[in-house]
Amino acid sequence: MKGYRAVVGVLLVLGVISGVFVYNHFFRTRTPVFASDEDHFLFGSIGTEDTDGIPYWLWLVLPRIFPEYLPSPGGYASLGVLSKEGNEMPVGFSKATIGYERVGTNCAVCHTASVRLRPDDPPMIVPAAPAHELAMPQYLRFLSACASDPRFTADTVLDEVAKNYRLPISDRLIFRFILIPSAKRNILRLTARYSWTHDRTEAGRGRVDLPNSAKFGLLRQPIGTTVGNADMPPVWNLSAHSGRSYLWDGSNTNLQEVVVSSAISAGSGTKWIDRDVTSLNRVQQYLSSVRPPAYPLPIDRPLAALGANLFERDCGSCHSPGGTRTGTVVPIAEVGTDPYRLAAWTPASAAAFNAYGSGHAWQFSHFRATTGYVAVSLDGLWLRAPYLHNGSVPTLEDLLNPPASRPSFFWRGYNVYDTHHVGFMTTGNEARREGTAFDTRQPGNSNAGHSYGTSLSPDDKRALIEYLKTL
Amino acid sequence: MTARSRWILGATGVVGAGIVWVLVSLGDRPVTYDDIREHFKYGSIGSEPGISLLWPMGGVLPPYAVFTALPSICPEKLPGGYASLGFVFEPGHDLPIGVSRRHRLGIDHVGLNCAVCHTSTVRDREGATPRVVLGMPAAGLDLQNFLRFVTDCSLDNRLTAEAVLGHIRQMRDPPSMFERMAIRWFGLVNRIKLETLERRNRLAAFLDGRVPQWGRGRVDTFNPYKALQFNWRLDQLPHDELIGAADYPSLWNQKPREGMHLHWDGDNDSVDERNLSAALGAGVTPVTVDHAGLKRVRDWIWTLPPPAYPYPIDRALAARGAVLYRQHCLECHADHRFRDGIVEGRKVGTIEDIDAIGTDRHRLDSYTYVFAANQYALYPDSQYRFTHFRKTRGYANQPLDGIWLRAPYLHNGSVPTVRALLDAPGQRPKTFYRGNDVFDQQGLGFVSTEREAGGRVFFEYDTTVPGNSNSGHVYGTTLTPADKEGIVEYLKTF
Repeated sequence: MKGYRAVVGVLLVLGVISGVFVYNHFFRTRTPVFASDEDHFLFGSIGTEDTDGIPYWLWLVLPRIFPEYLPSPGGYASLGVLSKEGNEMPVGFSKATIGYERVGTNCAVCHTASVRLRPDDPPMIVPAAPAHELAMPQYLRFLSACASDPRFTADTVLDEVAKNYRLPISDRLIFRFILIPSAKRNILRLTARYSWTHDRTEAGRGRVDLPNSAKFGLLRQPIGTTVGNADMPPVWNLSAHSGRSYLWDGSNTNLQEVVVSSAISAGSGTKWIDRDVTSLNRVQQYLSSVRPPAYPLPIDRPLAALGANLFERDCGSCHSPGGTRTGTVVPIAEVGTDPYRLAAWTPASAAAFNAYGSGHAWQFSHFRATTGYVAVSLDGLWLRAPYLHNGSVPTLEDLLNPPASRPSFFWRGYNVYDTHHVGFMTTGNEARREGTAFDTRQPGNSNAGHSYGTSLSPDDKRALIEYLKTL
Repeated sequence: MTARSRWILGATGVVGAGIVWVLVSLGDRPVTYDDIREHFKYGSIGSEPGISLLWPMGGVLPPYAVFTALPSICPEKLPGGYASLGFVFEPGHDLPIGVSRRHRLGIDHVGLNCAVCHTSTVRDREGATPRVVLGMPAAGLDLQNFLRFVTDCSLDNRLTAEAVLGHIRQMRDPPSMFERMAIRWFGLVNRIKLETLERRNRLAAFLDGRVPQWGRGRVDTFNPYKALQFNWRLDQLPHDELIGAADYPSLWNQKPREGMHLHWDGDNDSVDERNLSAALGAGVTPVTVDHAGLKRVRDWIWTLPPPAYPYPIDRALAARGAVLYRQHCLECHADHRFRDGIVEGRKVGTIEDIDAIGTDRHRLDSYTYVFAANQYALYPDSQYRFTHFRKTRGYANQPLDGIWLRAPYLHNGSVPTVRALLDAPGQRPKTFYRGNDVFDQQGLGFVSTEREAGGRVFFEYDTTVPGNSNSGHVYGTTLTPADKEGIVEYLKTF
């Protein structure tokens, strides 16, 4: 009897010790808090670490072990991932501890850009701007290539980590036997979810295929042949756009739903959203007031004033803040731009997304399928190149040319600004080195349509562009 | 004594000896020096390999026994020994200044320390005794050929376990039994070859002549770092980015430099972070770095005074020069009082735009925004993590303390003397020789016209080679010859 009690006591003590150990190494949560709203947007957690998170030490050393799977030297930066001076984590990447340190992505990864006026300038980081440099599909492909490589082993990874940090022995064992094998499985599962990207038009830099990701990944709909690549939109100045149709095809009219569904698409866990959305609310609040930066070079004011008149006359009804059709859906037959993005989102998809959160407080109800693209307001237009929803027109000057005279092939993702044509540089060696190819003949890449203003005189076009710089 | 107790005693002895042996071999003991000057010359900052017993990491040199054996194993690759590459040997030392020794994980390792790039010699004339000056730029050091020799000879077929053991038998201070066993039975030499191969693959661009020679007194600070720390594939970078050789700077008088833009392109304004970054260049890792050893050096160079000019100065001429200097140079470079921490000059330590200064831009372009982005993850999860690095668009205005010892001039060392720097770029020497330690009191710099002396072949510096341009910095070039002499004389007082 006495012996029995001793055994129970020992088991109890062991149980408590292992319980504390397991809690500490797998569940204890610590999320860094940022003093400024901007840093919260750029580096804060939106709950993606729990589900898709990669162990920090693994994430740190992968580019050093497998540089050959990146497009060029530079680590994650070679994928168009940005960096804000002095910060360890790149823009859009959050680091949170859930038992162990994990890396996730947040809104800023797709909604922050950089721009330079000259190749030797340090880039200016612009939060809330479209991430025109980011090669998101290539990031996933990089992770996948690493996880599929026979060198993706505990030995290789821990050797590289050891050069940077002295992991305690307990952590090394956890990495060796649990985290590295499970990271491999998770990465391969995540990338399998995106295997449909292989047999259709490359999204390339600055674009993602949100409709297909939602349909095929999140909503488990059968994989079809649709192509839904589109530019990442700017997310600044949200309070000025309230009540509008959101997303390129206007498939939702409720801002809160757009924010939550975008976070879910980015990988936020639904349980995390159930628990606490203060982090997302803080992001939304920041975005409601953050403004696009002004055009960085002097503007010819008299010329812009002429352009303002032309704008009111020819563009105002759809694009000026008070235009009757601004923020509404313009039928595809009328605007004439590439139809693939629109076709990728169907009534069935909308119904599935509305049913997705069933039972949760945040359940969606505003998703719908439309018949055209939204006439967006143009704030910060100079930083929103390339233009049209699919980013098929490099510059404003090109957009004011008839579709047939717009470039049919260019490089996108280079951040040096072309002040002459108003857009980013899309030709030349550097643009080629840093960019991905954009071929307008591929499905979903057409630069047709939106021929408004193409018949203006050259002088009028110049004036109009001068005015567009001021938006 | 019964058979049983004898057996127990024997077993205890064996186990005890085993424990002692393991403890000894696992120890991490640098060779230490109480005197700070000796520590600077020979002490460890942690750049010796470590981390793993079976697979040491970090560092750029093979173990002590191998390092000292290499010159005799490959004599034809380095006829004059390490001294011919500009290393300074002192009596009573088998390792040159700048090479430290540390017993780590059972192996007697060597590593590079700050002094390797920041110590050199000066002679009054050919044949005179060289004076060792701590903290001055290592103007005679040919680091690129040093790396090339260590790499080539480590991979040479003549470097075998037997050859190293033969060398060990002649050593006054041979390595531990553990290390000898590692060499004889556990393939230490083969492992060294594997490590060397990996390093050679990473640094191939600098070892196979793809980029212009750094030459004596220069190093490419950041490009090897891209390959060694981040494993960037250098052949995929734009070729011009790989041309980044620049002079070693002086190390003295750091205190008044805190907060100024440091490194030639001014990419960092923290002395401590700059030090830690330079230590990475010497071979430390965030794990093997010896913070205490580095801090001793840091505290010493914080207030180390620049050596005073030892030759006669024409005071009247210098006084005339001082007036001109105030007018033409002070705003960017401070004056002779900088050695006492007095900083006068609005632009001292700030960055001069490349378009304004007009000097060779390769060094500037070799440091990129993408590289800085990667540096922020160095020394991760620690108080030392890098946060101060910035991409700039020019070169930093340097204070000129001890300028007489900092020749050749400009960041890329493209102008042999101060006097030549005061000539218009077209009049500056198009080629000259670097690495002689004989002082030129006339021009203020080192003798640069001799091809070789005392068995040492100097580096022929060609200003037409990419990265070597002597253009730009035209300040003072339109003064009269007499005025220029005055400025040269005044600069001797710095």
